Amino acid sequence: MLWARSGQEAAYRELVRRYERPIFALLFRMVRDRELAEDLAQETFVKALNAIDSYRPEFKFSSWIFKIANNAAIDHLRRRELDTLSLDGSPHAETPEAMQATALQIGARQESPLDTVEAKELGTAIEAAIGTLRPEYRSCILLRHVEGRAYEEIAEILNLPLGTVKTYIHRARNELRLSLAHLKE
Amino acid sequence: MTRSSGPHLSPDQFEAWLIGELAPELQQHLEECQACLEQARADREIADQIALLPLMSPGEGFADRVMAAVAVPDPFAIRSLQATRRRLFATPKSLAFAASLALLLLGSMAGSIAWTLTHQETMASIGTWLLSQGGQAAWLGVRGIASNFIEQPWYDGIRSLVETPARLALISALASLAYLGGVFALRRLLAVPTQQVAHAGI
Repeated sequence: MLWARSGQEAAYRELVRRYERPIFALLFRMVRDRELAEDLAQETFVKALNAIDSYRPEFKFSSWIFKIANNAAIDHLRRRELDTLSLDGSPHAETPEAMQATALQIGARQESPLDTVEAKELGTAIEAAIGTLRPEYRSCILLRHVEGRAYEEIAEILNLPLGTVKTYIHRARNELRLSLAHLKE
Repeated sequence: MTRSSGPHLSPDQFEAWLIGELAPELQQHLEECQACLEQARADREIADQIALLPLMSPGEGFADRVMAAVAVPDPFAIRSLQATRRRLFATPKSLAFAASLALLLLGSMAGSIAWTLTHQETMASIGTWLLSQGGQAAWLGVRGIASNFIEQPWYDGIRSLVETPARLALISALASLAYLGGVFALRRLLAVPTQQVAHAGI
């Protein structure tokens, strides 16, 4: 961080390399559009790096950049209310190619073809269920269970009281469980 | 298992259980309360499933696109030093000029030190003369300002205000209060906001 503050390009690149995946993943799952998520991720990094002098080292850099990313996502969601997840691609895609390019790509970690299919189905269902949550619940659950952030850090990122963060996460899990109940039947 | 002791666990307590920090007495409740146990197990199952979601990366060249849009600061001092160094080492002629300049600077510094060491008495006398001249000039300045002040038409009025020790004390106290008030107001105006991570709201 000190290198980055002194303006070294290599340090900037290292910060981008370190945070591009989690920031992009958070934004993708928030806005559910690959192209848009990339634009927002780029906007996040450009804002953060251009304002690196205003970063205060007593806070974690990850909290700072996640906060900027989450604000970008929430601002976007407020501007354009996307309520449903399109597994076939962005709701704004106008051609089949664009739909393919923006489609949700679900990778699997298992090896057998049957497991792959099941994991894909479950992963797709979870992604879809997360997409139906309120944006505040979505941020909380993604930061907690996908990014593994501590409750205190999430509270700092989202500017919410600690108790509210825990309640949101708990409610989000309950809503996800209800959404996914049909898979168990 | 079906009997429960006390009220059901709160969201905070379910979170504590997930990270293995549930208090022992509540752990006891969890083991006895079927509803809480089912909720806790369901929470863990969902948390585990979410954690297995695939990793995601932006497209190729993302870092390059970011870097193209970021203004990487290039400190002026480093830039000007590099430019000067490039100019000085550009040709043998410029190199010889730089070497001569460095030699001249070092030579004059060494000469100055050597002269000072061998002429300490002269340096001491120059110092004494400069001090006495400076003192005289300062005294003349003070006298000039004082006589100018006394000749002003409002001087008598001001003087009458602080004629007695009580008045002088009152005026001094008022001036001190005004000064402290000014300092306090300035500090309030220049105070930096301290809200946590407020700087991230860019």
